[in-house]
Amino acid sequence: MNKSKKIVLVGHFGVGKSSLIRRFVSNSFSNDYKVTIGVQILKREIEIDQKKITFIIWDIEGKEALQEIRPSYLLGTSAFIYVVDATRNATYLDFNNEIDYIKNNFPNIGLVSVANKSDLINEKDFRAEIAKQNLVIDFFTSAKSGENVDAIFEKLAINFLNE
Amino acid sequence: MNDSDKLLILKKLLLAEDRDFANGILQKLESLENTVNIEENLSEKVNPIIDKKIEDFVALMPKKLGPTITEALDFQIKNSQDKVVDALFPIIGKMIKKYIQQEMKILSDNINNQVQSTFSVSGIKSKAKSMFKGESKKKRIFDELSNSKIEQIFIVEKGSGALLSSTSNDDSIDDDMVAGMLTAIKSFVEDAFAKKNQSLELIQYELYNIYIQNFNTYYIAVVISGVFDATFKNNLENKLFDFATYHIKNDLSNGIYLSEKLQELLNHE
Repeated sequence: MNKSKKIVLVGHFGVGKSSLIRRFVSNSFSNDYKVTIGVQILKREIEIDQKKITFIIWDIEGKEALQEIRPSYLLGTSAFIYVVDATRNATYLDFNNEIDYIKNNFPNIGLVSVANKSDLINEKDFRAEIAKQNLVIDFFTSAKSGENVDAIFEKLAINFLNE
Repeated sequence: MNDSDKLLILKKLLLAEDRDFANGILQKLESLENTVNIEENLSEKVNPIIDKKIEDFVALMPKKLGPTITEALDFQIKNSQDKVVDALFPIIGKMIKKYIQQEMKILSDNINNQVQSTFSVSGIKSKAKSMFKGESKKKRIFDELSNSKIEQIFIVEKGSGALLSSTSNDDSIDDDMVAGMLTAIKSFVEDAFAKKNQSLELIQYELYNIYIQNFNTYYIAVVISGVFDATFKNNLENKLFDFATYHIKNDLSNGIYLSEKLQELLNHE
């Protein structure tokens, strides 16, 4: 049976949430930055072990704090993808508090953390920096090159199918 | 008769005429005083004159004063446009409002009649007849525009915006994305204009309406083309409540069954 899951991308503005989704859904990338207003909804179906799963992806406009997001946009979410910009530490200064906010307010909901724009940083230096700050990042991605973008959703799909 | 008696007689003879004259003047003065000082008497004398003058004035006014009044009005209107607008707005506004209300009532009545006939047996017969007769494209398009028609139906889970079931006679953009965006719009409106227990019911765009019937855990969105008025809404509401009662029965898991039933509902229109 085909499962349909609502995935919500959150994070500061300009971290590349929309670019990640565009890469995942249409395998494309543009250097032009277009700010997301409100919410953009896209869909992609993937197949894992001959089982289909449909992602309805809510790409929500960037907010510096999760509390600023309209609560109704987050209702019925199956998993969150929290995205930071690896080139701007301002986007992960409050990372742990934001992750705790999601875990406390949406218990038992999937959560994946992503550091995007990995093509623009020295990954070794960045890993050292986040380790120093006790930040746990699940994926280092590049919407530009496509690195690890599919991997995020494959991990989510496996989790959903195992539920 | 002595001299003094003679003088008296002479006086009487000489002054009698003056005295009568003086008495006459005195009487006239008294009469005038009565006329001037007593309003009723004065009105009796003056009113006919004033009436006559007014009649003459009214008769002559357009000719004598018309150009002056026109010129004065022109000047006032040019120099006090805001004041003129303020003064005339309540009067003209009421007139326009009354006219529009009247026209809307006529339009509403016409539309109601049209919708009623659409749902009636005679309306369906007439439609079938016109199809067989082959009416002009222009008339058919006009009829289509003026008639209400259900184009698409979506059953969507509240909150997540997950599409539970849908049906459509035309190809449109992805139903899952439509369901998601409808939910996002609905969430935005309900958040932005937060009123407890209020839900978005209708989205309008040009000749299309999306009517949303809210239920506890899901909502049904119906895309309608053409006229969407109270009568049509009432009929649609009844059908959606029946659908929820007889087909959904609080079980939204059987999407295929619901799609079939939705298609039946769509075809039945």
